[in-house]
Amino acid sequence: MLVDQGLEIGDTLSDGCLTVLLVSERTRYSLRIKAEDLTAFNLESGLGLPERIGQSSLTEARMQLCLGPDEWLIVTQPDLDKGLGAQLKRLSDSFIFSFTDISHRNIALTVQGSEAVAAINIGCPLDLSPEHFPVGKVTRTVFENAPIMLLRTGEDVFHLECWRSYGPYVTGLFARYAKDIEMS
Amino acid sequence: MTTDQPNPYRLSDSGTRQISFTFDGKTYQGREGDTLASALLANGVHLMGRSFKYHRPRGVLGSGSEEPNALVSFDRGAGRVTPNVRATTLELYDGLVANSQNRWPSLKRDVGAFNNTFSMFFPAGFYNKTFMWPRSFWDKVYEPFIRSMAGLGLAPTKPDPDVYASTYGHCDTLIVGAGPAGLAAALAASKTDNRVILVDENPALGGSLLSSEKASIDGASITDWLAQTEQALRQAKNVTILTRTTAIGYYHDNFIALAERLTDHLADAEIGQSRERLHRIRSDKVILAQGAIERPLVFHGNDLPGIMLASAAQTFLNRYGTAVGYEVAVFTSHDSAYGAAFDLHDAGVHVPVIIEARTDIDADLRDSAAARGIEIVLAAAVSNCFGKWRINALELYTPINGKTRRIKCDALLMCGGWTPSLHLWSHSKSSIKWDDKIDAFVPGKANENASCVGACNGDFGLQTALEAGGRVAGGEATYTVSEVPFGRGETFRSLPNYKDVSKQKAFVDFQNDATEKDISLAVREGFSSIEHVKRYTTIGMATDQGKTSNLNAMQIASVAVKKSVQEVGLTTFRPPYTPTTFGALAGYRSGDLFEVERKTSIDSWAAENDAVFEPVSIWRRARYFPNGSEDMHAAVARECKATRTSLGIFDASTLGKIEIVGPDAAKFMNLMYTNPWAKLAVGRCRYGLMLREDGYIYDDGVVGRMAEDRFHVTTTTGGAPRVFRHMEDYLQSEFPELDVWLTSTTEQWAVIALNGPNARKLIAPFIDGIDLSPDAFPHMAVREGKIFGIETRLFRVSFSGELGFEVNVPAHYGRAVWEALFEAGAEYGIVPYGTEAMHVLRAEKGFIIVGQDTDGTVTPQDAGMSWAVSKKKKDFVGKRSLMRSDIVANGRRQLVGLLTVDPNVVLEEGAQIVADPDQPIPMDMIGHVTSSYWSETLGRSIAMAVVKGGFDLEGKTIFVPMPGTTHSAKVCNPVFYDPDGERLNVG
Repeated sequence: MLVDQGLEIGDTLSDGCLTVLLVSERTRYSLRIKAEDLTAFNLESGLGLPERIGQSSLTEARMQLCLGPDEWLIVTQPDLDKGLGAQLKRLSDSFIFSFTDISHRNIALTVQGSEAVAAINIGCPLDLSPEHFPVGKVTRTVFENAPIMLLRTGEDVFHLECWRSYGPYVTGLFARYAKDIEMS
Repeated sequence: MTTDQPNPYRLSDSGTRQISFTFDGKTYQGREGDTLASALLANGVHLMGRSFKYHRPRGVLGSGSEEPNALVSFDRGAGRVTPNVRATTLELYDGLVANSQNRWPSLKRDVGAFNNTFSMFFPAGFYNKTFMWPRSFWDKVYEPFIRSMAGLGLAPTKPDPDVYASTYGHCDTLIVGAGPAGLAAALAASKTDNRVILVDENPALGGSLLSSEKASIDGASITDWLAQTEQALRQAKNVTILTRTTAIGYYHDNFIALAERLTDHLADAEIGQSRERLHRIRSDKVILAQGAIERPLVFHGNDLPGIMLASAAQTFLNRYGTAVGYEVAVFTSHDSAYGAAFDLHDAGVHVPVIIEARTDIDADLRDSAAARGIEIVLAAAVSNCFGKWRINALELYTPINGKTRRIKCDALLMCGGWTPSLHLWSHSKSSIKWDDKIDAFVPGKANENASCVGACNGDFGLQTALEAGGRVAGGEATYTVSEVPFGRGETFRSLPNYKDVSKQKAFVDFQNDATEKDISLAVREGFSSIEHVKRYTTIGMATDQGKTSNLNAMQIASVAVKKSVQEVGLTTFRPPYTPTTFGALAGYRSGDLFEVERKTSIDSWAAENDAVFEPVSIWRRARYFPNGSEDMHAAVARECKATRTSLGIFDASTLGKIEIVGPDAAKFMNLMYTNPWAKLAVGRCRYGLMLREDGYIYDDGVVGRMAEDRFHVTTTTGGAPRVFRHMEDYLQSEFPELDVWLTSTTEQWAVIALNGPNARKLIAPFIDGIDLSPDAFPHMAVREGKIFGIETRLFRVSFSGELGFEVNVPAHYGRAVWEALFEAGAEYGIVPYGTEAMHVLRAEKGFIIVGQDTDGTVTPQDAGMSWAVSKKKKDFVGKRSLMRSDIVANGRRQLVGLLTVDPNVVLEEGAQIVADPDQPIPMDMIGHVTSSYWSETLGRSIAMAVVKGGFDLEGKTIFVPMPGTTHSAKVCNPVFYDPDGERLNVG
């Protein structure tokens, strides 16, 4: 279903030093809860939502990303992590919070390789050095004209999410950069 | 003395490859490593351009980016011509093509040069004064004339085929300038754990060192020291070196823009290879080591080709092995010019005289000159220069005895002191202060974490620069340096000449063709502020930003206004430091990447089915789907008819969607919309109207209640981002106590609108879990279930007046569901329709489009929508404004329908409306047409309009004057079709 979006960008954009891959189907929830309820919520649910803005908790099945003072994005692998929606529904009986399914609102790219930081920095004004943007850090930011969310999952690996209609623009910029690498 | 055969002014075979290039159609030989200027000079060519205003012949003045005269067009083929490139910075490659500018038909026969002959009639402010009258001549005669006569190179007319790059970067220390101070700073910083970026506009590191052959550092020759230093810096992992990179602007919080030239120096650069890259750098600390620029002397005839800055001649000699002449005279008021004279002499060039403006100089200099047999004339000046295309003699004037003497020469070097380069420092809003010792402004208080070092800080001399550079980067290195002392100088506000000032052409600003007397004239005419003098004379403006002229201009002005130079001050430097291509500024944002074009998940189907698209905010939407050769009119008529009689399918995915969730969701909705929400049952929808604080309509949309604590809000396509911001703003700042959260779900759902009497029949077989019967699922209701096995939020709503459903499915399934519905719809003759038919269908029903029928000054009452405003609610955003006296006053423009008397006339949207077409012009306009279409359903045109007191005009005739004709129309209720809404239930 993803390929009709002009997002079929090939496995590798450039000779090993830069790979940009479209991440397969994910389930995503925007979870909103007041900061003062978080401890109790974590205790009851066992979700272990990170407490500071920019923090993440990452497993193979699930990413839990704290994006704001009362805002989390949870991204799960649908095959490995099936019960979350039902669990959140149950929790809404005992907690005041909001969760909204936004699985299809976003697409995600894995940006990987020794050129990954340079490639993201063509449009993202953040300092992505490991001291300032360590593995596990997540933030909302921009990639030239596209609003994006950026998560570092490894020294040279980033998980980038954007609204689906911005996908072709974002991948177009990466393709343009890959061409720069190729021609220089 | 040996010379290079094809290059008669090349003193030594530099060992680099010989290459050829073309200037003004003539082929010359140069050497790899040359600039266009050094190669032309090696060929004995000094004439490189014509001046801006008087079209006077001009040669090079400088040797780098400060060059004001030798501006050329650099021609890399169709669409790849760059005007106003400095010949002194244009790197030569084999086959390079460049042309002179601002001359016609050729550099030596320039028709515009009559401006020079009659220059007495073209003083500063000439254009402002002369072309005032008659006023009507300005657009057609004066302005085109001035534009064609003035100016420099021609802007290219073809699209630029090149591509450009851009990037962001961060560092702890950014060093601008890789001369001795910058290199020493970089060496010191490289030993820390700081991330360092070192930038220089030249292809090689070294700055002034590249022209100072005789010096040595720590026992090593300059060449060796530079090689060692570069190697050390390149090996340091924390240092990034960017050459051919100009720091063009210094912005807030140490944000610096760097333009890196990647391919202009390459003979074989391919199209598709990025030509330039814009670096947008944020640095903790900025070290400016930009050096200083030599100041010309202001004397009669100082702009003749062959007259240049002494340091430029020294650079051409030491860096490019090129003599600027073989009879080179020197005119100076500063010691530094002696070094240039001695270097030239030692290289075999004859230096007939050093004309010294000062009355005394150091014995060392005198002895060195005497040892070389160079005559020095003290307390003297150049009073005239001879030659047409290049200087061939000068007139030496000694005011003490009033005598003049003619001296033959083929070049004249001048030096009036040095001006620290404060351009970037000034961009950062750091202050400057006057330094009497060097008669120049030097850095004052920093406004950012920034420092100036070396010559740009007023600290001249090699050892000073090296040690200051090291210190500013936290180092303690000392250097053992052997150097020619930099010396000192004196600044003359005016140089002696026996001629009357009014008869002299003593240029101050070479690029803007402004002379000493222009400044005096400006002051005489009452412009006493230096900023006004700048604008009146154009000194220090445009691409040059006064690099060689500012201080001389300021000093002349200070004499004229009888104020000190500190009081006169300096004009503001503006970015960019040197001219920058638009391509570099655009970076990657060209072509497809110029702006985001959002597309829905169904867009690809529309493209494959020949849709004609239109932009709606930054979305691309299908406007209509022509069959074969159908035009828009025919296609829209067909699409409307099919929808009204059977079934139309429309991609409404771009509608903004916001999920509002929380126990206080209804309370929040009550505050944000005019309508009441508390009693809206779960599973029901309501049309919502949103106002701004001022009571004017801001947005609208259908809202479905999914659960007690969950609303599915829709907004207009273009309004989605601002509605979300508006809500979030009120929630955070006005109603933070509410337990409610907003999530944008615009792109979560693909929305397929099905309208027409057969809409229910189409979906019925594919829907699971929803009772579609009219009683169970009435108009303005929403249900959750499945369609083709995919979860859906199914709305029964209608923006067409027909039976309508909006199928919301998760976006990735949008196209698949659309295709399945389209296939099944064949049975009903299903027709895809676009935004144009959607507009017609809604206008037939009198439904407004926010932003088309409203313009930010329309209240619900004006739009005839008081029914949407709750009378019972205590508060909502905009409520109080609805009681404002001007809002409740009579005579407001109100939304009405219009039916033209001639049913075939489709009024123009935006056309003005009058009550009486026979009144004198200007007529009293009482409103305008907001929407106007041909209605195939009604077989006539329809229109909507806002008209003053429109509700009371129903049945009356109004007039729409258009060029050549006046249309008349009757005011009516804007619901043109099915006023009782019966069609919602047909099917």
